[in-house]
Amino acid sequence: MEVVAVSRRRRRHLLEERRFLAAALIAPAVLFVGLLVGAPLILSVYLSLTDATAGSLTGDFVGFRNFTEQWSDPNFRTALRNTIVFTLLANAIIVVGAAILAHYLVRDFRGKWFLRFLILLPWAAPVALSTIGFLWIFDSLFSVVNWVLIHLSLVDEFNPPQWLGEPNKALAAITTVHAWRLLPFATVIMIAGLASIPKEVDDAAKVDGATGLRKLWYVTLPLQLPIATIAVLFGIVFTATDMAVVYILTRGGPFNSTQMLPMWAFQTGIQAGSLGQGAAIALFLLPALAVVTVLMLLFARRVEVT
Amino acid sequence: MADTPQDVERTTRREVLRRAGVGGLLIVYGGALPKTSAAGVPKYRHKELAGTLRIIQWSHFVPAYDKWFDDIYVKRWGQANDTEVVVDHINQADIPARAAAEVAAQRGHDLFFFLSPPAAYEDQVLDHSDIVQEVTKKRGKMKNVAFKATYNPKTKKYFAFSDNYVPDPVNYRTDLWGEAGFRPTSWDNVFKAAPKLRAMGHPIGIGMSNEIDSNMALMAMMMCFGSFIQNKEQRVVLNSKGTVEALKFARELYRQGMSNEIFAWTASSNNQAMVAGRLSMAMNAISITRTAEGTNPDLAAKISLLPIPSGPNGRLGLEHVMGAYVIWKFASNKAAAKKFLVDLETKYIGAFENSKFYNFPSWPASVPNIDRRVARDPVAKPPGKYKVLAEIAEKYTLNPGWPGNTNAAIDEIFNKFLIPQMFAEVAQGKRTPEEAARVYDRSFRGIFQRWRNRGKI
Amino acid sequence: MPLTRRDKLITYLVVGPFAIVLAFPFYWMLQTSLKSDLDLYNVENVPFGFGDGSPTLDNYRFLFEDTQYARWLLNTVLVALAVVLITLVIAMPAGYALARLSGGWGQTLGVGIFLVYLVPPTLLFLPLSRVIAELGLQDRLASLVVVYPGFTIPFATWLMMGFFKSIPRELEDAALVDGASRLKTLVRIVLPISLPGILTVVIFTFALCVNEFVYAIAFITASDSKVVSTGIYTELIRGDVFYWGALMAATLIPAIPLALLYNTFLDRFIAGFTGGAFR
Repeated sequence: MEVVAVSRRRRRHLLEERRFLAAALIAPAVLFVGLLVGAPLILSVYLSLTDATAGSLTGDFVGFRNFTEQWSDPNFRTALRNTIVFTLLANAIIVVGAAILAHYLVRDFRGKWFLRFLILLPWAAPVALSTIGFLWIFDSLFSVVNWVLIHLSLVDEFNPPQWLGEPNKALAAITTVHAWRLLPFATVIMIAGLASIPKEVDDAAKVDGATGLRKLWYVTLPLQLPIATIAVLFGIVFTATDMAVVYILTRGGPFNSTQMLPMWAFQTGIQAGSLGQGAAIALFLLPALAVVTVLMLLFARRVEVT
Repeated sequence: MADTPQDVERTTRREVLRRAGVGGLLIVYGGALPKTSAAGVPKYRHKELAGTLRIIQWSHFVPAYDKWFDDIYVKRWGQANDTEVVVDHINQADIPARAAAEVAAQRGHDLFFFLSPPAAYEDQVLDHSDIVQEVTKKRGKMKNVAFKATYNPKTKKYFAFSDNYVPDPVNYRTDLWGEAGFRPTSWDNVFKAAPKLRAMGHPIGIGMSNEIDSNMALMAMMMCFGSFIQNKEQRVVLNSKGTVEALKFARELYRQGMSNEIFAWTASSNNQAMVAGRLSMAMNAISITRTAEGTNPDLAAKISLLPIPSGPNGRLGLEHVMGAYVIWKFASNKAAAKKFLVDLETKYIGAFENSKFYNFPSWPASVPNIDRRVARDPVAKPPGKYKVLAEIAEKYTLNPGWPGNTNAAIDEIFNKFLIPQMFAEVAQGKRTPEEAARVYDRSFRGIFQRWRNRGKI
Repeated sequence: MPLTRRDKLITYLVVGPFAIVLAFPFYWMLQTSLKSDLDLYNVENVPFGFGDGSPTLDNYRFLFEDTQYARWLLNTVLVALAVVLITLVIAMPAGYALARLSGGWGQTLGVGIFLVYLVPPTLLFLPLSRVIAELGLQDRLASLVVVYPGFTIPFATWLMMGFFKSIPRELEDAALVDGASRLKTLVRIVLPISLPGILTVVIFTFALCVNEFVYAIAFITASDSKVVSTGIYTELIRGDVFYWGALMAATLIPAIPLALLYNTFLDRFIAGFTGGAFR
């Protein structure tokens, strides 16, 4: 009896042991992510250093040649440039749009629920499907956008703008879709940020006479900064690593001018079979993004006003 | 002692958690249960079939073909061969991704169908020579286009088995071209008619986009002008007068007779534009006419077919797509797979007819009297419209990479859409033809060299 | 505080256009899905109106009768639910541990978690295909259920970590003083309060699962095991023929209920997010 009681107490103590409990609770998560993300990542790094082809997971070692060779490929440089440009542009639109929208959506007004529903739709629809919707909206022949423009006599009926066929317009189209898709998400995050501003601050601002624009600049924005940073970070990550939008809308065309790194990596590694090169392309952005992520998270922590 | 409210709460919460856990387990487990055959339940339920054969192929643009293949042909074959045949379908564009996944997994289907010869996968597949020989014994020689597309002269290996190829005619509007006073029998005629046709509101439609139709049309046009990616010895010869001529021609044709939409096309765009009445000419397989027959028969009667226009170097065309089955080295039922292919190819009439003449047999003798069959198509308006298909298949269909073989480098160039890219850049004035020929020649040499290093060329 | 009339007007003037622009594609999908092929592919017709043969429910009929669309919808929901469950079970303890028990580790791991999302799945799916095949899960829905938590758990953990941090320690300490073990405290005190946080995780995880399609394409080819994103590609895009009417209908159908769901729980969701996203 005594022995049992002691051992039970000992076991209880073990569970109480902070570090053991912590490790036990964190272990499954770490294990899962380690196996499903970490291991494939290491394998991808290995592949990028070989000349593996066509799905084979082994190849001859070629050192860093896959990485250095990319610089001489104009398509790669285009993909790199586009990734940066799309991401920044789309996220600029997203942040500004979300900030404005969030500011008004925290208020109460008639029809708010319905308008919110409409605003959430882009984020609710699976990306593969909603992008097909845009493929139809920008169709070379049946585009509704063009139909409207033609009937407003703004463009020539027989040569309407090709939203997916001219490089700049295609860039605009892709940026639009990215922004459209993530705007609701960013708005929700911003609303959360606004909602977390304690009432005392609000009241204090009113007492001090800060209203409207002044309040926005001196009170709301600084308090929003941490969460806005998080929203931007998510936006950047979701845009820079996304393949679906380019894959469905343009396949990287016209003439590979709208390529983005994830798409080009896929096209090179999977569709063209040069797996080692594809892996190298996919990994290219990783260090840059990692640095950006760390910096932004540190920034968010720094500007937090408690 | 009565249960305290907390006890009750604890119990209910535990109950919920337990139920949820069981539910979750069921969901996951249910997902892991073996699936019934995608082709439906085998006919003899009580009879255990000896083996299984798993096939994956594209969703044929003619739904009737898939219905015939999945529900009639494989079932019949399965019963005759004591095998359960499962057919999965995949979008043509997603074939490379799934193929790569199966290779990485070292597990997958027994028969994997590609829409273009998968030279890059040579190391992952069996040597299909025995199947080729078997069919050759019964049906004679295979067509040269299929041979050069699936055989690697360097490794002496058949890296795929081609069951069919699709001839690529010119589709044109007889009424509009009649008004313009020409027929698209030569690229010169096309060039002369183009401005007139565009002025009528019906431009020419030859794509320069990242899609398969553009690839084929442009590569074929190049050959008509004496421009080739490689020669018979598989050496890059892109930088030539012929290439510059072809690029110049395409640029002028675009400027005079096409519209901007050609840079934004998907594989379906030229179909849609033609069937909507907009285009006066397109280079596409018979999916255009077959679609029109269904949705707009009056228009279908005005669309006629011709072989590819002739250029300074003659009349050379390419196949539109080529069906190529491979058997992975890790396939589980290789014997059944081989037999299936042999049986499919030796009696190809069913496939030919049910695909509405889309699939032409790689062994011509597998479908006797092709000329008469295509001429006798019941739906064709005007009657006999499809007769020219036999002629195109016979005389004007070559393999991508001709005069060389369709090797892994050609495959890579094809899959990266580098030819449409080259043409589009020149057409949009981003490069001069001479510069483009030079730059892409260099880039292709790099690609060829890489594959040469791997011993595949 | 009620808004002045001027404020209300400005609000509508700002929110209205946003809502219109964001929702327009869905209106367009609805419009297209109700048109007959004859009407749709006629360049002369006004797209905003209905021509001959329209409006028609043929596309919806085709979707549910001639394809396995209903099955794909079911598959998508089942996979998402299963993944949500797994994610909650793994991420909640981990988040708690990071928030309460591991001192400085929390911050470092928080950053590490984000880094996981920087690797594009465009190539990760190859090694994972091998893993899936070894587990015997190729072409089974369970393959997705096993793989998706890989990218839902990090985010869920991070969310829960922030959320738990915002729950005052006093609550737990009180229970501890009363003699309850840590585990009991977790279940009885913390769990009920974390409902908003859990809701947030559920919604985000669900959204992440429904949106994924690279893995779904690579792992599953059997038609009755496909999810909505991949099934559409196979059945409604045949070679070079797009079935636009049906495609638009197919996109509309999942979007509306999901948006309704998110909207209904949005306020709770926000509470969960602010509960302490990053404090």
